[in-house]
Amino acid sequence: MMRNLPAAALLVAALAIPLVFGGNGYIMGLMVSGLIVAGVALAWALLGNLGGMVSFGHAAFFGVGAYTSAILSAKAGLPVPLSLLAGALGAALCSLVMLPALRLSGPYFALAILAYAHIFKILATELSSITGGSAGFQRFPTLPTIAGIDFSSRTGSYALLVVMVALCALVYRAVKRSHVGTALRAMAESEDATRVVGVNATLLKSWMLLLSAFITGLFGAMNAHIINFLEPDYAFSGNWSVLPIIAAIFGGYRTILGPVAGAVLIYLFDQIIAKELLPVGHQILLGLLLAGMILVAPNGLFGLFQTRRKGAPHAAA
Amino acid sequence: MLRLEDVTVRFGGLVALKEVSFAMGEGEILGLVGPNGAGKTTLFNTISGLVRPRTGRILFKDREIGKLPLHARARLGLGRTFQIPQPMHHLTVRENLTVAQVFGAGASDPARIDEILEVMELAEHADRDAATELALQELKRLEVAKALATNPALLLLDEVLAGLESHAKRRFIAKLRELHQRYALAIVIVEHDIETISSLCSRAVVLNFGELIADGTPEEVFRNPAVVESYTGTADA
Repeated sequence: MMRNLPAAALLVAALAIPLVFGGNGYIMGLMVSGLIVAGVALAWALLGNLGGMVSFGHAAFFGVGAYTSAILSAKAGLPVPLSLLAGALGAALCSLVMLPALRLSGPYFALAILAYAHIFKILATELSSITGGSAGFQRFPTLPTIAGIDFSSRTGSYALLVVMVALCALVYRAVKRSHVGTALRAMAESEDATRVVGVNATLLKSWMLLLSAFITGLFGAMNAHIINFLEPDYAFSGNWSVLPIIAAIFGGYRTILGPVAGAVLIYLFDQIIAKELLPVGHQILLGLLLAGMILVAPNGLFGLFQTRRKGAPHAAA
Repeated sequence: MLRLEDVTVRFGGLVALKEVSFAMGEGEILGLVGPNGAGKTTLFNTISGLVRPRTGRILFKDREIGKLPLHARARLGLGRTFQIPQPMHHLTVRENLTVAQVFGAGASDPARIDEILEVMELAEHADRDAATELALQELKRLEVAKALATNPALLLLDEVLAGLESHAKRRFIAKLRELHQRYALAIVIVEHDIETISSLCSRAVVLNFGELIADGTPEEVFRNPAVVESYTGTADA
């Protein structure tokens, strides 16, 4: 019962927010953006926690997912639900070119994937006949209305994102609890010991990179159809790489729900409090908040709860 | 079962193994002997796939495995232990065996895991964290248990008896005999103790400076002047 308390609390909060703030477009807009970051943070944590890889390049998956979905829906007439899926697949496909980087570890992997991300941003800028280049890409469909629910409305988008974040968290949990997840957990600090008993470490890491890219691409695609405008500097912005990292570490990147809660809290803090206090350079307050959290609770907010509850820092969320 | 043909390994300018050739049959227990730095662990690393040979061939069950990755060799039935135990971190003892079984043997069989835990006297430690809550003896047994969980045909044991006191060592040797019988295993064991090799192995090969200098029964190789010289520096010690 206590074990499921954080999940239950998040569910109650997710249901209560539209009831309380449903009429407040500003708050609902912030929640929608926070949930987009939450999805990316979840994907980033999946790669970091299970794959043992720290990525500074998730902006590439986010941007590729966004552009793929927007272009396919606008130019090929693909229905938006299918174009969202295509966006996620496009991001997973783009992660394939990053597979050689899996031979690297630690900061070398992080730098390599950062470089890859920059390549995709340049491609989006230069392939202007397809992407619109730096002038931007617009006039693509919004999220559709299905079964009477208008997903392009703030509340509709919010509901869709809550469901998608929850589904991705369930996928993450299933992977984590599987034999693959167990092997990945071991690989982070004892790769030779796992390989020598038959674990194909490179293959498992590749799957995690693909899955992480898929999820990130999906949220990039949804974000594109929510804001209805894309330009390379926005879609491939370093913010899509950095904010999820801050969120995941703040919430507890070794847990499943930590990155989700961390993303929403961090985003709301940034937009409501930090921007109010420091209209210019408000991100510095995020840095201070993160530094404080690391000093007080290195395993993040949810890690802190779990340590207190179980006395074990690596327990599942 | 295992055949090495002119296997040479170089680390830069250093020749770690020089044209090493030997073969062993199914169910055989082979002692691998040699002074420190002779190349014993390098030979294990080469057979198991951690190190690639510069030249030569390694055949396991009549299949050339010299270019196969580590995990693929494990799946073919090549199990090994490390001189310094390497438990899988963040996992319990049981999880260590489960990962080894699922990925190495390609199937999940909890009953067999229970059996291995019993045989290796690890059942009472099954739910302990393998990396932080086991003593040296238990870690040594876990090394062997992990390899067993992959359902190996050949077990490479790298100084698995090192650091054990005499009573524990005798028990471990008896356990290895039991495993050999019970699972019809072929075993290659690296060990410095002549008495252990003589009592456990039907055959021994000796490495010195990366070269194989003797091959025969333990009695033969330990009387071999080249082997005596490699250990003592003089042929008539």
